[in-house]
Order: sequence, then C-alpha cells, then structure tokens
Amino acid sequence: MYFDLDDDQRSLASAARDFLGSSASPAAARAALEDPSAPVLPGRVDLVKSGFAAITVPESAGGGGGTVLDLAVVAEQAGRVLAGPSLVTFARAAVLLDGDEARLAGLVDGSLAVAVHDGGPVLDAVGADRFLALRGEDVVLASGTVTRRPGIDPTRGLADVALDEGEVVAAGDSARWERALLVGRAILAAEDLGTAARALEIGVAYTKERHAFGRPIGSYQAVKHALVDAYVEVEQLRSLVWWAAWAADHAPDELPLAANAAKGAAASALERAGETLIQVHGGIGFTWEHDAHLYWRRAKVDRFLLGDDVSAYDEVARLAVAGATR
Amino acid sequence: MDFEDTPDEAAWRDEVRGFLEEHKEQLGSRSGQRTFDETLARQRQALLYGAGLVGVTWPEEAGGRGGSPMQQAIIDQEMARADVPGLVNLIGIGMCGPTVIYHGSEDQRSRYLERLLRADDIWCQLFSEPASGSDLAALRTKAVQDEQGDWHVDGQKVWTTMAHISDYGILLTRTDPDVAKHRGLTMFVVDMKAPGVTVRPLRQMSGGSDFNEVFFDDVVIPDSERLGEVGDGWRVALTTLMSERLTLGGGGTEIGVSVDKVARHVADRLPDLPEERQAIVRQQLGRSYVATLGIRYTGYRLLTALSQGNLPGPEASAGKLAGTKAAREMADLAVRLLGDDAVYAESSDGSGSWQLAQAGLPGMAIAGGTNEVLRNIIGERVLGLPPEPRADKDVTFDELAKAGR
Repeated sequence: MYFDLDDDQRSLASAARDFLGSSASPAAARAALEDPSAPVLPGRVDLVKSGFAAITVPESAGGGGGTVLDLAVVAEQAGRVLAGPSLVTFARAAVLLDGDEARLAGLVDGSLAVAVHDGGPVLDAVGADRFLALRGEDVVLASGTVTRRPGIDPTRGLADVALDEGEVVAAGDSARWERALLVGRAILAAEDLGTAARALEIGVAYTKERHAFGRPIGSYQAVKHALVDAYVEVEQLRSLVWWAAWAADHAPDELPLAANAAKGAAASALERAGETLIQVHGGIGFTWEHDAHLYWRRAKVDRFLLGDDVSAYDEVARLAVAGATR
Repeated sequence: MDFEDTPDEAAWRDEVRGFLEEHKEQLGSRSGQRTFDETLARQRQALLYGAGLVGVTWPEEAGGRGGSPMQQAIIDQEMARADVPGLVNLIGIGMCGPTVIYHGSEDQRSRYLERLLRADDIWCQLFSEPASGSDLAALRTKAVQDEQGDWHVDGQKVWTTMAHISDYGILLTRTDPDVAKHRGLTMFVVDMKAPGVTVRPLRQMSGGSDFNEVFFDDVVIPDSERLGEVGDGWRVALTTLMSERLTLGGGGTEIGVSVDKVARHVADRLPDLPEERQAIVRQQLGRSYVATLGIRYTGYRLLTALSQGNLPGPEASAGKLAGTKAAREMADLAVRLLGDDAVYAESSDGSGSWQLAQAGLPGMAIAGGTNEVLRNIIGERVLGLPPEPRADKDVTFDELAKAGR
C-alpha cells in the first residue's frame, strides 16, 4: 500500500503553489467582491496559459495527459489562494469533450471559454461564452445569455444562464455526464481542502500572537480545541479527496461513493474551518477589512455547488444501504 | 498511489490468513462471544503465539519476530476480518512488555517476556489513581525502601483493565515527594498475587466489569524488580505511553461500532419507516458513513507511513477523536432505529447489542487519553499552539499535596 503523494505529485504541488500564489490572492478575491468589474484571478487566460487547467486533457489534444489526482493536487493549491475560475470547470469539460480533439484543443488554448450548466446558477459563467449541458441523454454545447447577480463569493463567477439551441457533442451519453459530475465533485473537494487548510493556518497563527489575560489565546483550551477539531476534519477530508481522485483514475466502481463522500466532507470541513477562523479572531474577524470572510464566503457557496452536501450524504447512504443488502 | 500489498506483505497476509482459517474452530469468533472465558482466551493467544502472530514487532531475543509495524497491522486486519476475538494480553503486549524490553534487566527480560507473549502470564498497567488521571504525575501511591533494599508499597490504583486476572503489573510509584512531581517517580514490576495486593472489580455504566481498583497495603517488592533508575519513573512511563499510541494508534480501525453492521441495520429497518423519516435516517447514516470512510482512509495514510519505516506522531491521535465521535453517532442512529425497543435494555427479540454499544461508548472518549487531553496534544505538538501555564512547575510534590492541588 502506498496512500500518499509521490515525489512527482509533490513537485507538481510546489509548482502550482508558486504559480497560483503569485497570480491569485485573497486581495484579488476582495477586489472582485468590491468591484464586480474587477477580474477574478488568475483568470481564464493565465490559468490556461499555465498549463495547469488542462492537466487532464490528453497530450494528443495539447493537454498535460495527467491524472485526476494530479489535478486534485493543483486544485488544493488553487483553493488556498481563492483562485478562479475553478479547476472544476476544466475537469468536467475535459471529461465531457473526451475524444473531441478539436474542442479539447480549444479548451487547452483558451479559445473555447466554456462553463458547465447544471440547471441552476452556473459556476464560472462569468467570462464564458459557451456552455456544456445535459439535454435528455445528450451532452450539448450551446451559447447562452448570462445574467449576473451579486454573488456571495464572486471568485466563483456564478450567474444565471439561459441557453440557446446548441449542438450535440455526445449523443446518448448521460453516463459521461455522470462521470464528469463525480470528477467535478472530487476536484471541488480538493479546492475546498486547500481553502479549509489555509483558513486553519491563519487561525492558528493569529491565536499564537494575540494575547488576552496575559497569555496567547491559543493556549486556552476553548480556542485550542476548536482549532484541533477543524484540523481533524481537514485531515480526514484530505484522505477522502485523495481517494476520490485516485478512484476517478483507477477504480470507477468506487468513484460514486468516494466522490460523494469527499463532497459532503468538504462542505462540512470548510464550513467548520471558516466559522472557526472568524470566531478565534473575535471582533476583528467579523469586519469587512479582515480576510476571514473571504474564506467563509467560499464555504457558504461551495456547499451548494454540484449538488449540495445534503444530497451528497443522502447518496452515500443510498450506496451504503444498497451495499448492505447485496 | 495504490492500495496493493507489496509482494512481501502479500505473502505475509497469505500466511496469516491461512493460519486463521485453518484454526477457525479453536480461535472462536468475536461476534459470537457472549461471555468471557479466561482459559480459552489464554489458549487462543498461546496458539497464535506458536504461529508467530503475537509480538511480531518485538525483538527476537525478547521472544518476538523482529518484524515491522506493517506486519502487525496486517495481523490486526486479518484478525478482524476472520472475526477472531482480541488478544487477552493486549495491554501486556502493547504497553507492559515494551517497557520491560527497554528498561528491564536481562534477568527480568528472560523471566517475563516470552511468558507474556504466550499468555502464561497476563499483565496490567497500574498508572491511574483516584486523584491522578490525566495528570498522571500527580500520583500518590508511595514506595519506600527499607534497609535490606526492598521496597514497601502503599496506595491505590484505579481503572486498571484486566487486573482481576493479571499475574503481573507495571506499577508507577512515588519514591521522593520532596522534588517536583515528575522527578520523584519510580517504576516496578509487581507480582499481582503478592501479599497485600487486593483487586476489586469496578462495575461500568454499561454493566460490565473490565476494570478494577487495586489496593496496595505494605506490598513488598524486591529492588531487582525495579524498571529503570530510582526517580526515573516518568521517563519509563513515557515509553509505556508511546507504545500505547502504537498499539491503539487507530490504523483506521473502527472504535466500538461497525459501520457495515449499522448499514445492514438501516437496510433492515428503512422500508418500515415513513418516507420523511427515511430521509432523516439516510442523512444520519450518510454523515456517519463519510466519517468512517475518512477515518479508514486516514488510517491508510498512517499505514503507509509505517510501511515506509516512519513511526506515527501525535497526529495519529486524530483517529481516536474522529472515531469516538463517529461511533457515538452510529450507536445513536442504530438505537433510534429500534423504535419502541430503544427504551429497553434488550429488544423484544432478546438482542441488546446496540443498547450495550450505546452504554459503552462514553468510556471510549475517556480511556487511553481523554479526548480533551488528546486535543491538547494535537494542538500543542501538531499545530504548535502554546501550552497552558501550569501551577505545578517548580514546586515539590509535597508542597502541591499540602496545598490540595
């Protein structure tokens, strides 16, 4: 058994951290919150140029030819700095356009600015001009009319989209749609892992510095234990993210359970980390000026993306019950 | 990343599985066990020891196999898979034995260790006292040396698992009250059948009796049964507690409640529930199931570290925090599903295992380090948070005791 990242994946994480850490930031997330016309960073163009967005696209179409686990490793780093657009969008598009070399090449070079439409608010709709959707049993690609509304977390680029007619890109292939959704949940959980881990780090650092009643507040058990509970959830989530990504690559039978487990755990862990981050900061954590709410915003929005956490837990239970009666 | 055994691990797993299957009848079953049979339990461990499946990580000169923690993890997995009851001398193997290996004399090692592995002797760990649980170094049981060099022990231990059937124990005592409390401690091996040792079983809230109070009334221990130097007992005890972490390290194993059994229970009961209730039950099961998967796969990370030759650090305690929480939620769900039977100790069909699990789980969050102490350890050693200021530093034990602290 080897259930850990290998050296290549660690280098990949380090490279992704360098790129994303210099091209995206909480400051950029804040700017997007204050001014809806400000760009979400690193943005589609730079993300595509970096090559990280197309890691899972085959080399024959100009992509990285990497695994879903590779992409998950990058997604964790993207989550740490609240980067946008989401790697979830690229992960799903790569699955939905599988075999369509021309369009995949467009995804890789940025000429196809695509988002995935699930029926509700569309992740990364802002800046997209083409949308992948399921119509009956067919996967279609269509243009659409994007209606922006003030978002809780603008880095997610959410908007309502009314689709045009479009064309079929994969006929009678709802299984492909389902796989793309599950891979998307795994990558979303990976981004949330990074966001939650970063929120925890900030909370820990602050409680070592801030003094009350003559000592650092992190020495008080009430504060310490809250951070530890968040830490435990983050590490359990890390394990589930790795498993889900690995299953996407190697064990499609395990993917529905693993991806839904990761999705549910991600929602829970990120909410706890975000809420704890604010709480341990006291009043300053509740101000507009402090970054804490930027992480909290991710938590409050991401839990509803690609199906909510309640649906994910329900799906896990259905699979568990089905497994028990087999 | 992969979940396959290496060729060595696979060969070892085959050997272990083969033995367990071949001796299925003699070994008995964990789930079918209604009452505890000491003789059978000792025989079972002796049989497993004969096959090299007990103390595999111990050095060969101590009666072990000089094997790896990964080999032990495979034994644990296969024992669980084959539904073989746990070893009667688990505390001896996991905690007392390693302490004797590291700190015992050559004479002690040769007299005790192999017998311990074979369950000829059962061992217990005499650490906690009525006034010192989490704060172990506050213990009061005192040992005083006479002119012949023998030690005389007076005091009381408590929560001592297996003491009522134990032959020996490792005993932490205070030998010098006039120094800081961590400095005045000394560890001994005590003969549990010696005059002056009285063991009284305690009844747990679940009704069972797994642990005891142990009273020492002028119990004489020869100096040759000392483990480590006089006054070095704290360091010796740390060896014991580190070994405990390895034993109970939570390699992703479940604590007290099997999620698969809960899922089967839910599958049985779900069709009879109204639809709106079904949705709530699925929500509870889903959350517990995800928690269990998280624990299982985090355990695989720990096993990976072991198989790479790394020892688990304090982060391994996270498994116990997550595990006790998940187990309590699962027991709660399982009991709720019993309907009217949920308020009775036994269901109308005579089974009471969910009710029993419910009553046993509060203990899991206390035993082996309370969850609060584990949170302190993770907070301080993993997250690097500062410790709380302490009122017991730079003060002798005697001064602390007089001040009632």
